[in-house]
Amino acid sequence: MSATNAYDAIIVGGGHNGLINAAYLARAGLRTVVLERRHLVGGAAVTEEIFPGFKYSVASYVVSLLRPEIIRDLQLARHGLEILPLESTVTPLPNGDYLGRWADHDQTRRDLYRHSPKDAEAYDDFATLMYRLAWAVKPLLGIVPPDPLSPGLRDLKTLLMLGRHARGLDEQQFHALFKLGTMSAADYLDEWFESDPLKATMSASGIIGTFLGPRSPGTAYVLLHHYMGEIDGVFRAWGFARGGNGMVSESIASSARSHGAEIRTGATVERVLTANGRATGVVLEDGEELRAKTVVSGIDPKRTFLGLLDPEELPDDLVEAIRRFRIRGSSGKVNLSLSAAPEFSCLPGGGPHLRGAFSISPSMDYLERAYDDAKYGGFSRRPYMDIVIPSMIDPGMAPPGRHVMSIFVQYAAFDIEGGWDDAKREAFGDAVVDTLSEYVPNLKDSILHRQVLTPLDMQEELGLTEGNIFHGELTPQQLFFFRPSPAWADYRTPVRGFYQCGSGTHPGGGVCGASGRLAALEILRDLRRRPRGPRPGHQP
Amino acid sequence: MRAAAGTPANAYDAVVIGAGHNGLIAAAYLARAGLRVVVVERGEAPGGCAATEELWPGYRVDTGAHSLTGIDPSVMNDLGLVEAGPGGAGLEILSPAPCVVSPQPDGGTLILGTDPTRAADRIRPFSARDAARWPDFVAAMSRAIRALGVLYRTRPPRLAGASRGDLWELLRLGVRMGRVGRREALELLRLIPMTIEELLYEWFESEALKGALAADGVRGICQGPLASGTGYMFLHHMVGAGGVVRRRRQVRGGMGGLGGALQRVAVAAGAEVRLGHEVASIRVEDGRATGVVLAGGDEVAAPRVVSSADPGRTLLGLVDPGELAPEFVRALENIKYRGVVAKVHLALGEPPRLRSGGDAAQAAVLAGAAITIAPSIHYIERAYDDAKYGRPSARPVLDAVLTTALDPSLAPEGRHVLSVAAQYAPFQLADGSWADARREALGDAVVGALAEHIPNLEEAILHRHVLTPADLADRFALPEGNIHHGEMTLDQVFFGRPVAGWARFRTPIAGLYLCGAGTHPGGGLNGRPGALAAARILGDGKRRQD
Repeated sequence: MSATNAYDAIIVGGGHNGLINAAYLARAGLRTVVLERRHLVGGAAVTEEIFPGFKYSVASYVVSLLRPEIIRDLQLARHGLEILPLESTVTPLPNGDYLGRWADHDQTRRDLYRHSPKDAEAYDDFATLMYRLAWAVKPLLGIVPPDPLSPGLRDLKTLLMLGRHARGLDEQQFHALFKLGTMSAADYLDEWFESDPLKATMSASGIIGTFLGPRSPGTAYVLLHHYMGEIDGVFRAWGFARGGNGMVSESIASSARSHGAEIRTGATVERVLTANGRATGVVLEDGEELRAKTVVSGIDPKRTFLGLLDPEELPDDLVEAIRRFRIRGSSGKVNLSLSAAPEFSCLPGGGPHLRGAFSISPSMDYLERAYDDAKYGGFSRRPYMDIVIPSMIDPGMAPPGRHVMSIFVQYAAFDIEGGWDDAKREAFGDAVVDTLSEYVPNLKDSILHRQVLTPLDMQEELGLTEGNIFHGELTPQQLFFFRPSPAWADYRTPVRGFYQCGSGTHPGGGVCGASGRLAALEILRDLRRRPRGPRPGHQP
Repeated sequence: MRAAAGTPANAYDAVVIGAGHNGLIAAAYLARAGLRVVVVERGEAPGGCAATEELWPGYRVDTGAHSLTGIDPSVMNDLGLVEAGPGGAGLEILSPAPCVVSPQPDGGTLILGTDPTRAADRIRPFSARDAARWPDFVAAMSRAIRALGVLYRTRPPRLAGASRGDLWELLRLGVRMGRVGRREALELLRLIPMTIEELLYEWFESEALKGALAADGVRGICQGPLASGTGYMFLHHMVGAGGVVRRRRQVRGGMGGLGGALQRVAVAAGAEVRLGHEVASIRVEDGRATGVVLAGGDEVAAPRVVSSADPGRTLLGLVDPGELAPEFVRALENIKYRGVVAKVHLALGEPPRLRSGGDAAQAAVLAGAAITIAPSIHYIERAYDDAKYGRPSARPVLDAVLTTALDPSLAPEGRHVLSVAAQYAPFQLADGSWADARREALGDAVVGALAEHIPNLEEAILHRHVLTPADLADRFALPEGNIHHGEMTLDQVFFGRPVAGWARFRTPIAGLYLCGAGTHPGGGLNGRPGALAAARILGDGKRRQD
């Protein structure tokens, strides 16, 4: 086998973070190659035509948190990224009514008022506070976590900056942040609102991707994310990428290529090559070796540390920390090809609501029961669902008159009792379709094709360990300088020249891309300067 | 209003509301510092939740707490609680060697004690791997508990709007934590938000072992072991326990003896304790507390009012709401209490005999170990599922102590008292209230769950007495029956106890302080809130009053 040494940097995994990392490195002049196992790039953000003529955003399906500086720096709009607004969130209710929240503020207020005048009043105050808090938390997304164990000068500077920033908050904001960081979404919202469907729908954003119910402490924090989403500088917006979420990845890939990066698909990296505690390249499944002084992993921490490397090369405490890093998947995905537009019985006929999202979250107890079903090793018989109809927003997603429907489903345990098999996958798909049919009577008759992804499928097909969409649960003990492990949260690893850039690093998942960018900036920093001295726990 | 007979206008420097352990400890510290202190208690006996009542002739039953993890050692020493003779309070604490006997549905029985080697032997039949890891677990948890102990011996530093003095306090705390070790402090930070399931999953595979340990992670909170913060709860109960398995220490003569001893200490220091007087309101003039008004209309004037009642009862019940800012009132109204504990007391004609576990388990029970019914994490979680929807657990988590094992004088010769704490029994039921029928149904469920493992139980019962969370609320002035004066979830501990911004024993009313379990570091008969509040009050006395 020939060993080529034509690269400065090799990126393992062509998910959005790997691609962003590559684009930044290539832009700085590094000869960069991305190695992707599948036949297309994007990882969990891909658009695929599984059924002829119908395009699915197979896994990830909306854009919200993608960092604006990345969109700017990489000129993603020029490379084909166009984000269309999602106008509304409608929660159909079992009694035939619905709760709607719309782009039009007055309409939202009228809708809320119908359910609870008190909530309609509180909603604006709540939004104002959350908007302020989102601003307060935002700087965290742009910094490299300091090393809490043996802080260097730069770490102390970061800590000082954070301390100053915290002191700048007023007491009300500070206390609200403390509560958001510790409470359950249900309890936090109980302090503001009384309408059950409103609280349930809002708390749903706190449970996405977690293996927790809305009454579990720790779910309140994610409420902030709704207010952090930023599209072209517009807060509080969820968007849909024209062409599906694969276009997010495609536009980044196109930007990376324009800077000279090479992108190879069908290239499965088997191991990272090391010599004397330094990364020297990678070897592919077919035996091909590629050499580079910088190797970056965009895949999750389990695969990065326990798969690409030999644990012998790592300090014991890091191996232990990665082994216990929690990465339980909790969600599944169902994509449907439909022969006709879905008719929601709560809002019959067409209308702008079909260009928005639907949330199957009629009550807090409903969500809790969905969680109960899964927590002992099963899937929800009546699941929580977040639904969009991409073809309504972007007609190019399906043939004329036909539609695609994207259904994010929770909960489904990865380690389901007896393990996932075809029968269980179909039973899971049936639970989704049956539940949704209660709100969309014409659904069953119009299904032309159904794709069901269980957490196991997400692991096998998309490379997400245990099907966790965030590369590791977003619990406080797995965030910031704990992500994925203290002392190794600055994108570096004990193997010099080997870096991490996936969602398993700060600030975590949600197609925000910050990990890929921040890792690239750290790599460039190291290349310009001498690497730092021996690090705690480092075994040469 | 008239002044109480024999009390001149400024006879006291401080009036303490409630003679629970925290109220008495605060009073003792204040009196020792030279303050003229009076404690006003509505009940006829001191001690609050540490109560012993003669429910049936000859049976003295711990109707509230039935075991003592440990009053903070420094408080014990300061106050000379265990010293015998004149001057000393003569509190006698009985410590069982084995701690927990946990019978399993399949017939196995896990016995845990504080000796790590013996505990490992007991764990081995359940899992050799877990037995091997046990000593390391004990060591790791002990380090975390030590670090937590540092936080428990000081008031939470003020972070929002911190002044120079606050930052100095924070720095000092940082240095103290640093002495424990940076790695240990960081590990504690990692453990605190964990679920107890997660914490134990990192170490063990045996469900029996995980269940027995996890029961302490959910004590007194309306959450299951899969909830964030239950890892912290577990550590909380171990501070001062001298191990990672809680020893059910008892007081000779019943838990009520604790209140008696504390009363003696306080009185010896010069405090006055008035039992049978209920405080009706706290007097506030120009934003400053000036004393209390008793139910009969008498007034006790003092420039400091120190309340060991829970924060809601104190500030929403005893103070005119007009004295408080609306946001503060709202924060108080939002405190989560959600009591979930019920008590069942059984007088037995003979000692309980376990179905399984052999002589060792039987001997442990007769030596004062608690019988814990918590055979797995999922068992506890399912018990919680019921409470989540407002129903008492069909199969509850139980902590049963044969109080007569360590102190036979608590029952007539040859008879026994089994005191059972049952969880989950939600204060707020989804349908209806805690009427008599439901009380008895609860008693049946508890006895039924125990009888599965104690075949002679039902026959041995001579008397049965059940206290629902509503009963506990009335009897011991526990808000919504919460045994900790406020749920000890992460949002309601440290900076958030009792409410964010007021975690340092002061209240917005000058001269009015809180010193009960609703303040840092919370409940569990440890006496730290009382001691820390006293230190705060004395510190304020040195400075000019604000």
